Amino acid sequence: MREPVWEFLIVNYLFLGGLSAGLYFASALATWIQEDGHSAYPRIARWGAVLAPWPVSLGSALLVLDLGQPFRFWKIFFHFRWRSPMSIGSWLLVAFTFLSLAYLWSWLEQSERQSLLARIPEKIRTRIPVRVRGWLDLDASAWRRNLAMLGFPIAVGVGIYTGVLLGAVQARPFWNTNLVAQMFLFSALSSGTAALVVARLLDQEPVELKEMRFLYSMDITLIVLELFIVLPYLIHGELSSLAVKHALAQVLGGPFTIVFWMFFMGVGLLLPLAIELYEFKPVILGKGTFHIQPRWALTAGGLVLFGGYMLRYVFVFAGQATGFR
Amino acid sequence: MERRTFMEIIGAGSMILPPLACNFRRPVAAGPTFLDGIATTCELCPNKCSVLAVVKDGHITKLNPNPENPKSRGMLCARGNAAVQQVYDPDRLKQPLIRVGARGEGKWRPASWDEAFDYTAKKLSDIKAKHGPEGTLWSSTEGFQEIFFKNLGQAFGSPNVMRHPSLCLASVNLAYSMTFGTVPSFDLLNADYVIMSGANRFESIITPDTMDLIGGTMERKAKLIYLDPRFTVTASKADEWYPIKPGTDMAFILAMMNVIITENRYDKAFVESVTVGFEQLAEHVKPYTPEWAEGETEIPAQDIARIARAFSDAAPRAVFYAGRRSSWYQNDFQMRRAQALLNAIVGNWDRQGGMVPNQKIAKGEFLVLPWDDPKASRVDEVEKAFPLASAKDGVYLPLRENVLKGQPYPVKGWMIYKQDPLHALPDQGKTMKMLDQMEFVGVIDIAMSDTAWYADVVFPESHYLERTDPIEVMPGIWPAAVYRQQVVKPIHDTKPCLEIAQGLAKRLGLSDYFDYTIEQWVEAEAKELPVQNGLAHMKQRGVVAVSQPKYGATLNPVHRFLTKSGKIEIFSERLKEAGQDPLPVYTTPVQPSGGRFRLVLGRKATITHATLTNLPWLHEHNPENDLWIHPEPAAKLNIRSGDLLDVSSSVGQVRIKARVTQEIRPDCVFMLHGFGKKSPWLKRVHNVGAADSVLLETAWDKVSGNAAMHETFVKVVKV
Amino acid sequence: MATKTLKTAQSIRRFAMVIDAKKCINCKACVVACKAENQVPLGVFRNWIGEEASGEYPRLRMSFDPEQCHHCADPSCVRVCPTGASWQREDGIVLVKEDDCIGCKYCIIACPYDARYHNPETHTVGKCTFCSHRVDRGEVPACVETCPSKVRVFGDLNDPKSQLHQLLATRRYEVKNPQTGNGPQLYYLL
Repeated sequence: MREPVWEFLIVNYLFLGGLSAGLYFASALATWIQEDGHSAYPRIARWGAVLAPWPVSLGSALLVLDLGQPFRFWKIFFHFRWRSPMSIGSWLLVAFTFLSLAYLWSWLEQSERQSLLARIPEKIRTRIPVRVRGWLDLDASAWRRNLAMLGFPIAVGVGIYTGVLLGAVQARPFWNTNLVAQMFLFSALSSGTAALVVARLLDQEPVELKEMRFLYSMDITLIVLELFIVLPYLIHGELSSLAVKHALAQVLGGPFTIVFWMFFMGVGLLLPLAIELYEFKPVILGKGTFHIQPRWALTAGGLVLFGGYMLRYVFVFAGQATGFR
Repeated sequence: MERRTFMEIIGAGSMILPPLACNFRRPVAAGPTFLDGIATTCELCPNKCSVLAVVKDGHITKLNPNPENPKSRGMLCARGNAAVQQVYDPDRLKQPLIRVGARGEGKWRPASWDEAFDYTAKKLSDIKAKHGPEGTLWSSTEGFQEIFFKNLGQAFGSPNVMRHPSLCLASVNLAYSMTFGTVPSFDLLNADYVIMSGANRFESIITPDTMDLIGGTMERKAKLIYLDPRFTVTASKADEWYPIKPGTDMAFILAMMNVIITENRYDKAFVESVTVGFEQLAEHVKPYTPEWAEGETEIPAQDIARIARAFSDAAPRAVFYAGRRSSWYQNDFQMRRAQALLNAIVGNWDRQGGMVPNQKIAKGEFLVLPWDDPKASRVDEVEKAFPLASAKDGVYLPLRENVLKGQPYPVKGWMIYKQDPLHALPDQGKTMKMLDQMEFVGVIDIAMSDTAWYADVVFPESHYLERTDPIEVMPGIWPAAVYRQQVVKPIHDTKPCLEIAQGLAKRLGLSDYFDYTIEQWVEAEAKELPVQNGLAHMKQRGVVAVSQPKYGATLNPVHRFLTKSGKIEIFSERLKEAGQDPLPVYTTPVQPSGGRFRLVLGRKATITHATLTNLPWLHEHNPENDLWIHPEPAAKLNIRSGDLLDVSSSVGQVRIKARVTQEIRPDCVFMLHGFGKKSPWLKRVHNVGAADSVLLETAWDKVSGNAAMHETFVKVVKV
Repeated sequence: MATKTLKTAQSIRRFAMVIDAKKCINCKACVVACKAENQVPLGVFRNWIGEEASGEYPRLRMSFDPEQCHHCADPSCVRVCPTGASWQREDGIVLVKEDDCIGCKYCIIACPYDARYHNPETHTVGKCTFCSHRVDRGEVPACVETCPSKVRVFGDLNDPKSQLHQLLATRRYEVKNPQTGNGPQLYYLL
């Protein structure tokens, strides 16, 4: 089989793009759920909003770097090729990045906005028309919920897109199923949630049980959903045509078996799920009291992120090693 | 591209040549502009295929096949296509070089042509003064300008002009000449049944045989029986492949004749009318039954008998193909004779689908001032030791023995053209000794070959695409005369062989013999070509060809064959007189013992000569050679593919990687030619892989003196 | 079969290739001719010859399998290209506009025949062009012309007089991996 042409830059991008989508999604959910006319989990929402734009921006930069001709990347935006997932995805990425920046802006306090604006060098700042400056300084907190609403489909789109990019390639039987898109979506959302668990625990503000209950229930649901996709993916593949079966051999007794089962399924999916379920047991069973052991929670969050990365690693490399021959 | 221009181009295209796919023939350009390229002739192997060179802004961009040549059948192989890279190779020889360090140390001083000529002429004159002109050896491989090099050696007075056939096809040529008085071609286009032994025709391409056998634009017709210790591409395309025990081919042929004669399957009318000695042969082959041959060849007796019957049933459209390569064993001549006799008794001579005496194309000759015959006899003593062999070509390996012994006289100067003796001759160590004892070695080549690396003066020859050569006639069933004309001016300070010979001749006082230009030479040759305006025709088309085969001219009862009896000689009085077996007598070959293997050699379609392995486009497909070894002995020796091996014979040792493969007999090993180079200027193969010539022992065919390349047993040890 | 799905209007040409792999002797003439004709860098290839060996000594088998871009009827490489650099001419030839190629390599991945490569010199994607520059001059591709055993026959599917058309009308053939849905246009004679 030929050498892979997409390598770690693409793995990183797929992971980071998904992570941003997940962060935005979780934050938007936290914004959208109201309690007494306010966001029920404002700290989570804010953390998500603050983090969301950056992984995707870094990922997009890596994507451009991976191009043979990075200085021609703009050519993508001068064509719209609706049958090319990459063309659609690029527009989605741009929309999402701008949206996440706007959403972040809406979550900034006035003091933060002004200190950011103050950092613009004097010479440039004075040249910005007053009207624009005022507009930049506008308090957009009222827009948060609308931006969250607007962001749901776009974040889901970005999360799904990373999978569609691979899944739409009929030449690579390892990828060529709609399950890949869903797997990547749930993995992305779960990664975002896990990142918020980690962020919230490392925050100086003491974490509230309510917040952890929100994040845990979300992450457990997403991991379970991901499992429900991974298993059918494997079973369906085994029952599929020979080319797909051969492709699956990459993870079922092939070069990627250990990475897939140990690092993705074991360490990256089942282990954090077990930790989270163990911690969440009182809530599920309705017995005992739910309290958080930050060390365990941090471990679980970290492992979910690791698992998300491994999933993309396995799919990018194993997929390219498969074909119809 | 804009849609409109695209449509216009399509429109224009279809006006020029409507039936696109059928038309392999490219229109030949008229007038001075070479729309389709400059017609010339490839030089990368002995086939001399016709080429159209496309030149843009003085740069050769592509070589295309010229379909006018019926011999090359409208093709250009990988090697021919890669020739452009020789021209633009940054490591090629760009100016004359004179050695300053020790031999082989690689210290060179770039010199002007005058300097190099003066230096060489001085050295040659010194040797002449001390040892006479016979103290110099002039060796070369065939090529259109070889004649100028040979002429220089002869005009210098040396009897030791050494050509390449005794490293090549001398035994084949001699065996067929002794039988038929000429060396025929094999009509593979029309044959129904072909037996080949060893001649790996689908990997060592010979035009038009390779293309005719595979079918080319037609469907392949012939049933192909192939004998070879190795499963080659030819074996894979054959209807039947037998991994014959090495050295026993003659037993197979004798048994075939036994069946054909016992069962009265030979062509009686033919045998009676045009051959002599059939009765002796019938008596001679009696003991050689298929059952006996099975014991020798490891080919089942019933298969031998079946093949013999099918062969005679298909005759005269059946041939035992002669092949064309160096001798394998010391009985090579007699084995080829056996082939020739088998062909003769089924009457396939001069018939469609059989063996056909070659047609030629008339060409003029440029007459040069004759020189005196050399006073001394040849140092290889060919007339004495090999009276039947071609004295003008010489016998290379016996020559080397004599030179090393200084017998019958010392040879101290060696001029070499277009040849790399360190790789062309078996036993590199011995060749190195021969080089060492030379007082002077001069090499003419286009690249720094290993031998050039050990020379004293290196003359850079212009590449074939940079020079004009004499017209060459290639005899055959579809004969052609071809012309090589300059495509681009030499891009470095190089000269064609003629100018190098002239430069030396001037300083050796031999200018009178070289008082002409290549243009004059070619013009004289072109004058008598069977076309109008021969030279103009050649310049434009590169080929003069006869595309209709002629069969049966020699079957006329008054025809006299060029043999002693005037007939096809099954029993050869001349061989008897010369003290050789008049009919091929079989002796069981010695087989390797004590865990040794027989080293067998062969070629690949991408590399024929040792010099081609360094071309990037060819090297890409053959980055390194390896030693083929069968899984059974490999398991015993604990060898796996990729393991490093020490391979040794009685004369040398090399280190090479293993390739464990079923595609070879368990008692043989195989390696490709052209690797393990000592010259750092051949950077892709310098110290990469191993050179077969290091291992090969000195052995030659007893009748022709041709180097026998399969007589070496090697020991294989995992490193 | 796939031929029938193509436009059959007389005026539109549809180039394709017939390959008689049984005649292939793996001599690499086509590969080297392609490199020379199209200045393909070392290490990457627009056409290649696959080898398949099987059997047990002394009953061995070896077959060769010349391949290149299939110039598919519905090329997935063209579909996935985000800039339209990969495109298909009306006569079926699939090309890459080098100036528009950003080197994302998506088409390399999307080709089920692994016929595309990343050009290490231009950092764009390269592939077989059926020697469209030669075809437009009325010649055949370099690999077709140079082949010693004439394994390849190039021509217009819609020209009933072409050798290609006649071979497909009279001989049995197959295309590779039709299940990829690309509609490959290299026809392998059986």
